[in-house]
Amino acid sequence: MEPVMMFVVVLLPVFAGVLVFLLPFRKRVHRLVFLEGMVTLTSVLAIWLLLDHPGDKLAIVKFTGDLTLSFRIDGMSMVFGGMAAVLWPLATLYAFEYMEHEQREKSFFLFYTLTYGVTLGIAFAEDMMTMYFFYELLTLVTVPLVMHTLSREAILASRKYLYYSLGGAAFGFLGLIFIIVYGSPDFVMGGSLNLAKIGGRTNLLLLIYVLAFLGFGVKAAVCPFNSWLPAAGVAPTPVTALLHAVAVVKAGAFAIIRLTYYCFGVEFLRGTWAQGVVMSVALVTILYGSGRAVKETHLKRRLAYSTISNLSYILFGVTIMTPLGLAGALTHMLCHAVMKICSFFCAGAVICKTGRTFIYELDGIGRKMPVVMGIFTVASLALMGTPGLCGFVSKWHLAQAAVDSADPLAFAGVGVLLVSALLTAVYMLTVAVRAWFPPAGFCDKSLAGITDPGICMLLPVCLFVGAMVLLGVYSMPLTDFLQRVSQGIY
Amino acid sequence: MNGAVWILASIGVPVVMGLVLLCVPSIRKRSAVVGITAAGLIMTAVSVFAAVGSGAGSVTLWYLAKGVPVYFQIDSVGQLFASMVTLVWLCGGAFAFSYMKHEENEKWYYGCYLLVYGIVNGLDFSGNIVTFYMFYELMTILSFPLVLHSRSREAIMAGLRYLFYSFCGAYLVLFGIYFLYRYGTTLTFTADGVLDPQLTAGRESFLLFVAFLMILGFGVKAGMFPLHGWLPVAHPVAPAPASAVLSGIIVKSGVLGMLRVVYYLFGTAFLRGSWVQYVWLSLALFTVFMGSMLAYRERVLKKRLAYSTVSQISYILFGLAVMNQTAFTGSMLHVVCHACIKSGLFLVAGAVIVQTGKTRVEELTGIGKEMPVLLWCYTICSLALIGIPPTGGFLSKWYLAMGALEGNALPVFGWLGPVVLLVSALLTAGYLLPVTIRGFFPGQGFDYGNLQKREPGVAMLLPILILTSVSVFAGMFPSALVRFLGGMLW
Repeated sequence: MEPVMMFVVVLLPVFAGVLVFLLPFRKRVHRLVFLEGMVTLTSVLAIWLLLDHPGDKLAIVKFTGDLTLSFRIDGMSMVFGGMAAVLWPLATLYAFEYMEHEQREKSFFLFYTLTYGVTLGIAFAEDMMTMYFFYELLTLVTVPLVMHTLSREAILASRKYLYYSLGGAAFGFLGLIFIIVYGSPDFVMGGSLNLAKIGGRTNLLLLIYVLAFLGFGVKAAVCPFNSWLPAAGVAPTPVTALLHAVAVVKAGAFAIIRLTYYCFGVEFLRGTWAQGVVMSVALVTILYGSGRAVKETHLKRRLAYSTISNLSYILFGVTIMTPLGLAGALTHMLCHAVMKICSFFCAGAVICKTGRTFIYELDGIGRKMPVVMGIFTVASLALMGTPGLCGFVSKWHLAQAAVDSADPLAFAGVGVLLVSALLTAVYMLTVAVRAWFPPAGFCDKSLAGITDPGICMLLPVCLFVGAMVLLGVYSMPLTDFLQRVSQGIY
Repeated sequence: MNGAVWILASIGVPVVMGLVLLCVPSIRKRSAVVGITAAGLIMTAVSVFAAVGSGAGSVTLWYLAKGVPVYFQIDSVGQLFASMVTLVWLCGGAFAFSYMKHEENEKWYYGCYLLVYGIVNGLDFSGNIVTFYMFYELMTILSFPLVLHSRSREAIMAGLRYLFYSFCGAYLVLFGIYFLYRYGTTLTFTADGVLDPQLTAGRESFLLFVAFLMILGFGVKAGMFPLHGWLPVAHPVAPAPASAVLSGIIVKSGVLGMLRVVYYLFGTAFLRGSWVQYVWLSLALFTVFMGSMLAYRERVLKKRLAYSTVSQISYILFGLAVMNQTAFTGSMLHVVCHACIKSGLFLVAGAVIVQTGKTRVEELTGIGKEMPVLLWCYTICSLALIGIPPTGGFLSKWYLAMGALEGNALPVFGWLGPVVLLVSALLTAGYLLPVTIRGFFPGQGFDYGNLQKREPGVAMLLPILILTSVSVFAGMFPSALVRFLGGMLW
């Protein structure tokens, strides 16, 4: 396709969002059909573009010197952009039914759809400058979504989110400047640093790498910068599910991948103290997230802590700093996207139908909502890494990369993954057990009238559960593709 | 027909029938439920025996990841375990038809019973460790509803404990699998092991540690100290026929796992004489003694039987850890005998509960006068477990002791092993026979006037009689069996 299509695909959701906000639709359903049509169109175009991508770059704005705003699609863009393009229409469909009972739907869909465009912008970014620009934009367009209910809690959460994200981005900016000075802002697999220029300042650059890692790590919720994520769970579930389990947080992980593999380069980083530091941060976060999830009794916050832990699985793969490690990280990025969005959607369906948000209120709910809770159980098993579901595959690749790297810290990392898997079993299965096996003498009168939700909510979760099983039993084409991506082919 | 088809049938038929029972709400009548279960059990049994009889055959289904197929094969270990499972499962099923009449949620029970049957067959016919691990996890998850069937608070807590201990063990195993994949030539079970001497050079001590973790991990299911804590809690709370298969069969999957890991993956040559062997021997012997002592102290019959399982399974582990042909034969004999004896004993305990409602040993005074046939079965099974000739238990212990003494290969354990086994046999007599004595000889002051005829019906007695006679005949006509067992690996 023509390079200009990249710009079109990024702008299309922006227009769609604005039109939905401005046009006076007579009925709710008209607005929804229009929006779903536009989002689906964007996704179709985006996927087409990714499959048949132009090799050239497309410069949109030229600031000064090397600094441009430009797009180009490479293997990483295909992974991240493809993930967003597949999930967005399904999440929008889910949001229709979920938002029925919420206020100010129009502004919700405006920002929800704007975020889509911005996310695609991050995916298509050709250099650090462009990615940074869209990265900041992403923070700004998602703040109104966190604030959506306008409750005191929501406003506090959105403020926290804003401060954390902007603060993190500032450290990312530091990294951007050093990369421009000591290399080039363009993304090159293997790194763009000019070793001659660095001379004796290796340690300084490693320090900058660690700072930028932590800066972008704010969005990826690394320890200790993750308290914004559970707080942001006050947003409506479509936001928590799509943005705070997939798009926004994985933009953080994506930025770290770009920083590590495409700017600093693994040759420069591997075996240094910086690798030890960032890998330790990832491992600590894995345990911290899982541990907090076990203690948490609020369903959505528990899932948020689980996200924190799982994002660091991805970062663990990234910090192994080998192509296999990156392939493992990408596998987990995709698998976790499906598993976590699915569990959040199930949780959202329960909240929407029963109004119950704490786990101890969920006794016996499986009898009333068998489909939703059945799918939730499958998603739980997938998150734990039961073989036959996709979580097993991604952990397999992560662990293989760790074993292969022969780095003692990575060996310990394999142990950490498994400890976390056990904790995952504890925090996910206790929910399922409550739902399916209420204590003897349980009276289900209080659950009268509760049923599975409608097709708009069920269709996405059913598709996700299908994807989990499919990826679990037959993942070779995908993992082969990801391995080629991580070797810099495409 | 080809053995491969029968393997798939032995897994697929019960799984499908079980799912039908669980998922089709219109099957309500008890006769329909029982009919489907019985049909499922019989069809599966036929497939298992056809697969065992065909002697050879293998089938690869699909690849989970590169070099990791889902792969089944028939070998002598699989033949032995699958036949044993089928015998016990049919008896437990037949017994359940009368026992479960008085319990709620019968459909759940039968559905899970069938599902687990299929999964255990898959476990026995697994041809590589990843397939084995997949079925091992599934078995844990699906047998969990059997444990908490009664839904009492005690049962739910016991079920969760079972679940999390099992996952803990499974993840220890998974840790080992990750490393085996890297340092072995294949993950397929191969006599003499799969380690690649070139890759392992210089990493032997680490791999010994990995082997130890795997043994410890499978030790969870086998109730080996220090991770045995779930077993005496979880087995007794289940309905009696479920306790029978849990104690007779499910624990044996841990034994099977260790057998596969030690004899088919690491290879005895790698482990013999290492610290792993000695620690394993010590743990097994300690567990033998500890289990017997705890059983001796316990007053509730079913719990006493569960502690007895802890002890008896470690007889088998001791034999495996000795790593020679005689001890191995003894181990396998004890696998078969213990499966029949322990299931028989649990069924007796269940029949007593149904007929009299009594659970504690001291309440059982005089039951021999009311239920002579049942108590005779109990007594014969007890004698077999203690190891009185000519029963199967005598023969297995004979081989175990002979194996330990053979060739003075084992320092200390050569004589310590047989001594501990004998002491434990004495304790076994001490905790099992009081029931017989009280039952037949209630003593002075017993009110004979209140005695009623309470013998259970043929439907309950027949499975118990079958299991009892197998445990006796295995000792009386052992030559064919011993020849088969001795030729399994040597």
